Amino acid sequence: MTRLAAAGAATAYQKEWFARLRAQAAAGEPIALVNADAPQELLRAMDIPYVVNQWWASVVAAKQRADDALQVLRDRGYPDYSRQYDAISLGSHFLADAPWGGLPQPAVVIAENSGDAARKVFDLWAELPGTDFYPLERSSAVEVPSRWWELVPHRWEEAFGSERIDLLAGEIADLAAWLTERTGRVLDVDRLGSVMDLVNEQAEWNRRTRDLVAAARPTPVRVGDTIPAVMVPQWHRGTEWGRDAARRLYEEVAGLVEAGTAVVPDERLRLMWLGRGLWYDLGLYRRFEERYGAVFVWSMYLAIAADGYLRYGPDPVRALAGRFAGITDQLYTPPWSTEWYVKEARAHGVDGVVHLVADDVPGSWFTTRALEDAGIPVLEIHASNADPRTGGPDRIDAAVSEFIERRLTERPDPEGRPPLQADVRSS
Amino acid sequence: MTAPERLAELYAARPELARDLAAGGTPVVGVVGADVPAELVEAAGAVAYRLHGSPDVVSDEARAVLGAALDPVAHSVLTRLLDGSLAFLAGLVVSRDSQASLQLFYALRELRRLEPGRGLPPVVLLDLLHLPTGHTARYDEVRLRQLAGQLTRWTGTPATPDRLAGAVGAAGEVRALLREVGSLRREARLTGTTALHAVGVATALPAADAVPLLRQVVVGAVGEVPAARRVFVTGSGQDTDELYRALEQEIGCLVVGEDHDWGASAGPAEPAGADLAALGVAYRDRGPAAPTASIARRAAATAEAVRGARAELLLAVVREHDEAPAWDFPAQAAAVDVPAVLLARQPYRVDLAKLREVVGVAAGSPS
Repeated sequence: MTRLAAAGAATAYQKEWFARLRAQAAAGEPIALVNADAPQELLRAMDIPYVVNQWWASVVAAKQRADDALQVLRDRGYPDYSRQYDAISLGSHFLADAPWGGLPQPAVVIAENSGDAARKVFDLWAELPGTDFYPLERSSAVEVPSRWWELVPHRWEEAFGSERIDLLAGEIADLAAWLTERTGRVLDVDRLGSVMDLVNEQAEWNRRTRDLVAAARPTPVRVGDTIPAVMVPQWHRGTEWGRDAARRLYEEVAGLVEAGTAVVPDERLRLMWLGRGLWYDLGLYRRFEERYGAVFVWSMYLAIAADGYLRYGPDPVRALAGRFAGITDQLYTPPWSTEWYVKEARAHGVDGVVHLVADDVPGSWFTTRALEDAGIPVLEIHASNADPRTGGPDRIDAAVSEFIERRLTERPDPEGRPPLQADVRSS
Repeated sequence: MTAPERLAELYAARPELARDLAAGGTPVVGVVGADVPAELVEAAGAVAYRLHGSPDVVSDEARAVLGAALDPVAHSVLTRLLDGSLAFLAGLVVSRDSQASLQLFYALRELRRLEPGRGLPPVVLLDLLHLPTGHTARYDEVRLRQLAGQLTRWTGTPATPDRLAGAVGAAGEVRALLREVGSLRREARLTGTTALHAVGVATALPAADAVPLLRQVVVGAVGEVPAARRVFVTGSGQDTDELYRALEQEIGCLVVGEDHDWGASAGPAEPAGADLAALGVAYRDRGPAAPTASIARRAAATAEAVRGARAELLLAVVREHDEAPAWDFPAQAAAVDVPAVLLARQPYRVDLAKLREVVGVAAGSPS
C-alpha cells in the first residue's frame, strides 16, 4: 500500500506552517518554545505562535543533525550525554545551517521542572538576550487510582488529585499574566474554552482511529505513517485544522479497513513499539514486514492521543491543568503506565513488544515485567530515540530480528505455517 | 577518644544505632532525600533516619528494578531495603528532591503492591516542590499536612502544635550547632570529614541525642588541623565520607565547604514559625539544590559560599546519571574567582587516581 494521504498532508502542512512561523518571527512577532508537557493550549488561546521543543528536536534528528547540535553544547562545557531530547533544539539554535532554515529565536520559553535537569536547558535558553523562561512545577503522582484512561475525560480531579490541579491552575493563570506583559496578548477564557473544545473533538477522532486500528486484522496502517499523521495535528491542538486532520485520518483509516487493505497481506506478527519514535531511523518500522511479515501496529503517539488528552469540564483553565498535571505519569509512572500498556497491547492483539528504554525514561522495568506477566514477550533496547550515537540502526535491527526469531516464532502458528527465518540481514 | 573520633564512630554505626532505637521501642522512620522535615517526624513521636548507601552495597536486582541510568545511591538504598536490613523501619518517607529519589519511591510503591511478601516498610512520597511562588507554598503545605497524618498513623502519636513547636526548636538547636561546626571548619579547627560526619549523625539521631554530641565537637575544637589546600566541594551529594577522607587524608586538602545535599548548608533556614506553612516555605527555599534550582541561582550561591569559605579550589564531583550538577558547573566555574575542576560521570566509588590528577592539575593553574 502507499503512504497514508493524511500523513503526507500533515507533513506538507507542517512545512508550510513553519515557513509562516519563521515569517512571523522575522516580522518581529514574539514566538514561544514550549516543552511537550507544558499547557500549550494557553498559547493557542492567546494567539501566540509556538513551537514544541520535542517536535523540533525530532526534525533536527531526522535530518541527521542531532550530533552537530549536541556538539555545540559539548563545546560550551555542557553535558551532551544528558537530556538530549530536551537539549537538541538549544544546540541547533547555534548551527549555521539548521534544518528548515532554523528555529527562530523564541521570545519566551516554557517548561515544567521535570527530571533533574530539564529546566537547566531552558535556563540556558534564557541566557540569550531577548528570551525569557517561565518554569512550571512538575508535581508527582502521590496517588494513582487504577484505570486512569477511564477517569481522565471527566473525573480528572479524582485521577490526579485536587492538590495537583490547584497548583497548575494557579500557575497557568500567572503564566497568562506573564505572557501578557511580554506579548501584549490577553487571555480570553471563553476563547480558551473553545480551544479546549477543539482539542477534545480532536482527541475523540483519535480515539475512534485507535479503536479501528486495534480491531483491524490485518493492520491497514503502519506506525511510520500514523506517527506523523497523528503528531503533526497534535502540535496544532486547539485549531480547526488539527481537529479536521484527525477526522480525515479516521476517515482514511476507516476506508482502508472497509476495503480490506493490509500493510502486509500475509500478516504474521503484530508488534508494539513502546517508547519514543526512533527519529533518526524511521525506516526501522518497515524493515521487518518483508522479512518476517511482522508489522508495527502500535506506537504511543496515536494511543496517547486517543486516551491521554480528553478533559471535559466547565472551567477551561482547570480542565487544562487537569490535562497536564500528570500527563507524563500516564506514560511513565507505574502502575498507571503498566496497566495502560497491557490494556493497549491486548486490545491490539500484539505478539511482541519492542521497548525502547531511554536513559531519562523511568519505570521501564515495571513496564516490561507487566507485559511479560501478561504473556507478551518484550525486547528491551537501551538507546536514546534522538541521539544516534547511543544505538546504531544496525544494532537495533539485529536485536529485533533476533527477538522475532527466538521469542516470537517459537510459538505455534495458528495456521500451521513453519517457523520464520530472516530472508535478509542488514549489513 | 576525641569528639571527632566519637562522631566518626557514630557516623559509621548509623544503621546499628537506628536499629537499636527501634528495638528499644522508639519508632524509626526512614527518610530519603533532603526535603523531609525531621521536625515533623520527631513531632509525630519518631526518629528520622536519613538513608544512605555504599558503593559496596549495590545489588543486580536493585539496578535492574530502577534501571542502570540512575544515580547509584538510589540503587544502594534500594538494595538495603530489599535485603531486609532496614526492616525495623516503622515507615519510609521519600522526598522528591531528585529524580533518583522519586523513581525509588515509585519502585518501592509498586514492589509493595506486586510482592507484598517481601516485607518492605510502608512508604509515602513527600512531593515538596521548590519554585518560589505562593502556589508552590500552598501545595507544599497540603503535602506536609498529609505527611503529618501518615506519620501519626504509623506512630500513634499526633504531631500536635505543641509537639511541632518543640521539635522545630530542637531542630533549630541542631542547625545552630552545625553552623558552628561549619565556622570552625572554615577556621581550620575541624576537618571537612568531621563536618560531614556531623551532618550524617544529626540526620540519624534524635535531636536530643545529637545536640550534646555536636556540643562536644564544638567545645573540643581547640587546636588547628594541619595546613592544607582549601577545597570547596560541589556536585553530587556525598552520602559516604570516602571522597572527603580521600581529599583530606590522601591528597592533602581541607574541605572547607560544600553545597551538596549532605552538607549543613543544604538544610533550610530557620522557619518563620512552628507551623506547617512556615516549615513548608523553609524547606521550599532551602539549598539551592542542583536538581531543583536554576543554573543562575546555583552559581550565585556557590560563588558566595566559596568566597565565605576562603576556598582555593572549587571541585565538582558528579556521579554518572546524576544529571543536574554537570549542567550547573560551567556557570559555577565562571562565577568563582578560584580555579574550578569537574570530575564528571564518576562511579559511585571515588576514583582516587583521577581525583589526585585533577586536584593536582588545578593546583598548578592560575587562580
